[in-house]
Amino acid sequence: MPPRYLVAGLALAAVAAPASARPVSYAGGWTLMQENNGMYSSLHAHYSPTATDSIGLYVEQNWDMDQTFTGLQYNRLVRRWNAPQSQGNVYFKLGAGVADPFEGGDAELASFAGLAADWETRRLFVSYDVRARDFGPDESVSHSARIGAAPYVAEFGDLHTWLMLQVDNNPEADEPVTLTPLVRLFQGPFLLEAGYTLEEEEFLLNWVWRF
Amino acid sequence: MKLIKTLMVAAAVAVAAPAALATPPEASAMEAGAGEILVAKVNGLVCDFCAQSIRKTFGKEDAVQKVYVNLDKGEVRIDLKPGKSMDDAAIEKLIRKSGYSLVSIDRNAAK
Repeated sequence: MPPRYLVAGLALAAVAAPASARPVSYAGGWTLMQENNGMYSSLHAHYSPTATDSIGLYVEQNWDMDQTFTGLQYNRLVRRWNAPQSQGNVYFKLGAGVADPFEGGDAELASFAGLAADWETRRLFVSYDVRARDFGPDESVSHSARIGAAPYVAEFGDLHTWLMLQVDNNPEADEPVTLTPLVRLFQGPFLLEAGYTLEEEEFLLNWVWRF
Repeated sequence: MKLIKTLMVAAAVAVAAPAALATPPEASAMEAGAGEILVAKVNGLVCDFCAQSIRKTFGKEDAVQKVYVNLDKGEVRIDLKPGKSMDDAAIEKLIRKSGYSLVSIDRNAAK
């Protein structure tokens, strides 16, 4: 991928917050993804019928909105750039379901849409993710960007370690912009991320299992 | 007597194991009279999920005995079962199904 794309990616990272690990697997692959942070906890279980699509269950407990979303999520790999030493992706995400308030009350139809882009080599990683949520009476748009580096290059099957910095922008939150340094550990079908959001003093813990 | 036999077996394993481990997989496969070995150059292989995608996709094929992914070289080595074959179009289709791009196929890599 030409350097101008890297520059564009870094620029996006500078203004925005984490694209999750790739939400589309190989044809016939299943993935479990769980994210926990100061804003929400989510579980996404999906199946990829093709190498460019995946569909599955998405459940999110959103502490900012005090609601639980339960529904289906569809992910589309819009474009992939496969280069000799790098890979770039653009994904579109769409979710539809119901949102239940924590305090009771009627569940309402809810939806979200997102766009994610990432580019990585075996040494560098950059990503950007924007998501718009419409959870009944609550609406929000959040941005997330990451930049990361691998302190060493590992071969397939070895433990891969990444040091990353995540920047989140949630305009309506008490802390609109937050920074989360994190460590990503990656081996075979398992990926684990642990970090700490400085402004909110909250831990981040994400994991992915692909099979 | 049993102790002596055990020690002899252990000594034999100790001598043979490093040599066996040092033998490149290509050589082992050829010596065993295995099937054709192909090496595909593939773009986009940057992480373990990529490698796993390739292995799972090729692993479902009846003609494939073993798949090795080398992220450093961006290569996929496909060991076919004896008497089995795969044409270039089939390999390209599987690489694409995994989400990656085929650059070239070397059918003489193990010779």
